[in-house]
Amino acid sequence: MAKNESAWSQSIPMKQQFKIMRRLMTYTKPYKVQFIGAFVAAAALAIINVLLPQILQYFVDHYLSKLDATVAVILGVAALYALGTLLKALSQFFQSFLFMMGSERGLEDVRRKLFSKLHQLGMRYFDQTPAGSIVSRVTNDTMTLADFWNVILSVVVGLFSVVSSFWIMLATDAASAWLVLAFLPVLLLVIWYYSTFSSRVYRQMRSKLSALNTQLNESIEGIQIIQQFRQEKRISDEFEQTNQAYLDTRKAMIKTNSLLLSPIINLLYTFALVGVLYGFGQNSMKHYVAAGMVYAFTTYVSNFFNPMTNMMDSLSSLQDGVVAGSRIFRILDDDEYAPKQNPDAHAVISQGKIEFKHVSFAYDGENEILHDISFVANPGETVALVGHTGSGKSSIINVMMRFYEFGQGQILIDDQDIRDFDLADLRKKLGLVLQDAFMFYGDISSNIRLFNDAITDEQVQEAAKFVQADEFIEKLPGKYHAKVIESGSQFSSGQRQLLSFARTVVTNPKVLVLDEATANIDTETEAMIQEGLKRLRSGRTTIAIAHRLSTIKDADLILVLDNGRVIERGTHESLVALGGQYADMYHLQESGHLTPAE
Amino acid sequence: MSIFKKLGWYFKAQQRRYIFGILALVLVALVNLIPPKIIGNLVDAMSKQTLTSTQLWVWLGLLIASGIGQYIFRFGWRVAIWGGAAQLEKTLRTRLFWHFMKMDATFYQKHRTGDLMAHATNDLNAIQNVAGAGILTLFDSFITGGTTIIAMMVFVDWRLTLLALLPMPLLTVMARKLGMRLHSAFAESQAAFSRLNDKTQESVSGVKVIKTFGQEAADVDDFNQIVDKTITINKRVNFLDALFDPITSLIMGLTYLVTIIYGGWLVQSQQISIGQLISFITYVAALVWPMFAIGRLFNILERGNASYDRVMSLLNEQSAIVEPQAAVTTPAKGDIEYRLDQFSYPDAEASALVHVHFRLAAGQTLGIVGKVGAGKSTIFKLLMREFDQYRGSIRFGGHDIRDYTLDALLGSIGYVPQDNFLFSTSVGNNIRFSAYDQGQEAIEAAAKESAVHDDILNFTEGYATLVGEKGVSLSGGQKQRLSIARAVITEPELLILDDALSAVDAKTEAEILAHLHETRKDKTTMIAAHRLSSVMEADEIIVVDDGRIIERGTHAELLALNGWYADMWDKQQLEAQGGLD
Repeated sequence: MAKNESAWSQSIPMKQQFKIMRRLMTYTKPYKVQFIGAFVAAAALAIINVLLPQILQYFVDHYLSKLDATVAVILGVAALYALGTLLKALSQFFQSFLFMMGSERGLEDVRRKLFSKLHQLGMRYFDQTPAGSIVSRVTNDTMTLADFWNVILSVVVGLFSVVSSFWIMLATDAASAWLVLAFLPVLLLVIWYYSTFSSRVYRQMRSKLSALNTQLNESIEGIQIIQQFRQEKRISDEFEQTNQAYLDTRKAMIKTNSLLLSPIINLLYTFALVGVLYGFGQNSMKHYVAAGMVYAFTTYVSNFFNPMTNMMDSLSSLQDGVVAGSRIFRILDDDEYAPKQNPDAHAVISQGKIEFKHVSFAYDGENEILHDISFVANPGETVALVGHTGSGKSSIINVMMRFYEFGQGQILIDDQDIRDFDLADLRKKLGLVLQDAFMFYGDISSNIRLFNDAITDEQVQEAAKFVQADEFIEKLPGKYHAKVIESGSQFSSGQRQLLSFARTVVTNPKVLVLDEATANIDTETEAMIQEGLKRLRSGRTTIAIAHRLSTIKDADLILVLDNGRVIERGTHESLVALGGQYADMYHLQESGHLTPAE
Repeated sequence: MSIFKKLGWYFKAQQRRYIFGILALVLVALVNLIPPKIIGNLVDAMSKQTLTSTQLWVWLGLLIASGIGQYIFRFGWRVAIWGGAAQLEKTLRTRLFWHFMKMDATFYQKHRTGDLMAHATNDLNAIQNVAGAGILTLFDSFITGGTTIIAMMVFVDWRLTLLALLPMPLLTVMARKLGMRLHSAFAESQAAFSRLNDKTQESVSGVKVIKTFGQEAADVDDFNQIVDKTITINKRVNFLDALFDPITSLIMGLTYLVTIIYGGWLVQSQQISIGQLISFITYVAALVWPMFAIGRLFNILERGNASYDRVMSLLNEQSAIVEPQAAVTTPAKGDIEYRLDQFSYPDAEASALVHVHFRLAAGQTLGIVGKVGAGKSTIFKLLMREFDQYRGSIRFGGHDIRDYTLDALLGSIGYVPQDNFLFSTSVGNNIRFSAYDQGQEAIEAAAKESAVHDDILNFTEGYATLVGEKGVSLSGGQKQRLSIARAVITEPELLILDDALSAVDAKTEAEILAHLHETRKDKTTMIAAHRLSSVMEADEIIVVDDGRIIERGTHAELLALNGWYADMWDKQQLEAQGGLD
């Protein structure tokens, strides 16, 4: 099925990786207290871990081996050990809790930043980027950052442990300490080899997994089509291939980990232990070696090696973090911003006159979609835009709503440049009714009000009444507080349209911008919608996109667009009389309904 | 433990792998006993200064051998047991997928995509955990734990062992209790995560609306509130998670205290040697994991068991659509005859269709019109055997449609649904979806017939352009036309257009209908539509309302009838002339 080329299948150059990591670290700054607290606790833990065996060593060497441990001594040692254990537990708790909370807050900050950045981006960004991938940046990728920061913790903890163990070994028996340290290069070699080798396998595994889930999801969603066309066998075979490929990479990952992860660290630990014991054994043949010291030393050797497994295990998260980070930064660094207003744009729309003067526009800055568009809509007038799909109708609305920045020319509202208006006022006074009546999770009144708490319940109800949506709303359980589920799927498209009209009415815009729905809804709903629209339009300047010419016959001005140019303009009568494209379209639409069946 | 029995079939099938893995685990446990003993012996010999060079070499040689042995055995069990778990997950996923492929519409009505995905990911993960971590913890806790305890008793002192072990069961209790709490807290955290996900999804999908009403800041506020709640919930998860290590340390601390006090006294009273005490302390450290594992074991098994039951109940659901023995295998062809008395959807009280009788001769076209929800699509669904539990019969080419094999029946039908689902593969592959052996020529012919060829040529990579997330985003009309191309490429005996022209403009609609008229002269077609112009040329048109046929006839007859159809026709005409304004 799909060729799934995710970010997992590419490797990022080293230099780039460090840059991303450094930048990711900056998000931890606001939570210095937590992170530093966690590191202090980690340091305390490392010291306690070193001191606890010391207590036992002292006990063994100074009392037990001389057989002069009194009850008081034994209890004293026990109390000291208990205190140490208590402190150890406390530092373990704070190390882990503070760090997790620090990274939790850090990643939530990244989430907030991403989300508010998204709202600063222009529509072009959303045209180009699939919704699913944006969502996954905000949620999944930020989630990965917690694991990424965790790598830092395990490295720091490992470092503390290694350094403190080495330091105490040095203090206990220098020669043996250096012997243990000699294993460090070997360890580093293993870590290096593991991280380069495993990251490749790991990336493959992740990309196979994501392909697997994509196929699964798509096959479930498209099951009706698969069954109808009897393609179950073929689709299953394709799935089985991915399933097998994922298993293969997973097995490779298991082998890599078994070969190079904790078993090999354990092996190296044993070798180091042998070295140390050999040293002590040789010494014991010459002079007395304290038993407690041998015990303490073996514990230090194990402290020296233990954190390695953890560190290496977390390295894969480093990869995850870098990949996630690079994708997050791609959004944060995106400069596909929404169009900007002039610096002190405080003008306010009072009349509602709209004028386009030689406006041109290109979505990508190169291929012009609109060429030299000019028209005037005086207050209260209706200007209709007609033309085939791709003729530029929607683009006119898109630039007028400031969803996209236009190129040449000027757009004037009340004879003033559109860029001089306060954006909030523009949004308030230009009421756009969208083709796709998107519903938000919540209730009816929150959908009409759309987060604007300044709108009262009465206003909501009046608006609904005005567009005649009250009829069906009153029948709902809970009426205006009836729940609206995900994308309002419990309502018919006609009902959703009416709610969307109410949304616009409640803001009482000066100018109405209509983007008529292309989909053919049934005629009864259509009548309901037309009536709603008629009410909306009264007394407002209206710019309307129409697919059915019948709905805009009474417009004051009709612009016929073709390939981004106005090719005809006039009233319905004058355009029909002209006998051009408009007349053709009109006759075609009419005849589609009028020619009797053969 | 019952989950092990339930998974018995798998362990039996993978007998050799698991015997090998468990054997390696046992060997690891046994070899594990050697180093503490050696250390203890060496310490004793050293402190008594009786150690000889040969002795030292023997002991250290043994230590090296045990280290290498452990490396090999550890590698062995990991590959065997983790690999077995991965294999199990794959096996179950294959079964689940094939099951999904075979299930009927009732199944998909009951289970939403998200749930099915969750079963195929989370539940399978919990089950594979039983075959991996479950086996490991089981054998680790009992074998490693048991042998270590025996070694402590034999090599050191049984009284000390019993006393020192007293606090150990607390570890098991803690791992279990805290594990359960953490699990439920984690479930809450997951729920909070999906709320964030839903919120983001909604904001991105509704971004144009939000921009239109200038509510960006309010939306960000709303998001931030959800984030705040998420932080509070995750704080609890982190708190519980952070408790694991400290509590383990405290419980282990108790054991060490017993060891210091009682063990110290035993050494002092010369009942055990210093070396033995040190061996003992080392053994205690080796007990932490097995004790912990027992607690974890229960959680793993419990979750695995619940997941296994869920997956099995899913797999046990049967499709109501079955092929009879000795089914007709020749592709369906000929007249279509509906003699449907009553049908209602599973779990619905109201009838969806009542007394729908019609006959469509081969080569004719039937138009179906009516309001949204009148039952137009249901008529098609029954014909395509999405549901079988109706009264009456539907015949195709003289046989009841339930007597055909699904291949014979559905192979003759080309269906274009209302919601045009396309797969994220190339445009060309989407068109030849049902005829994967077809070449470029057939694909283009189908595309031309559906008036979408020119659109495709305008895509950056033509027929190779990918559809969906990673490719071109298509307009509603383009999707509909691609769906039509997908259906006509096999030149099906019966073509069904289920409101499949709603998003194309009048001109394109006329073009497509003309093409179909030409290429499908002797083939049967059924068209459901809102726009009456789509069906006006049909041989018969039925008007459906509330699941019943209320009017029928040709376009002219229906107009003459002066009923719903004529009424709607007038309305659509008026609309075309602008009469409603």
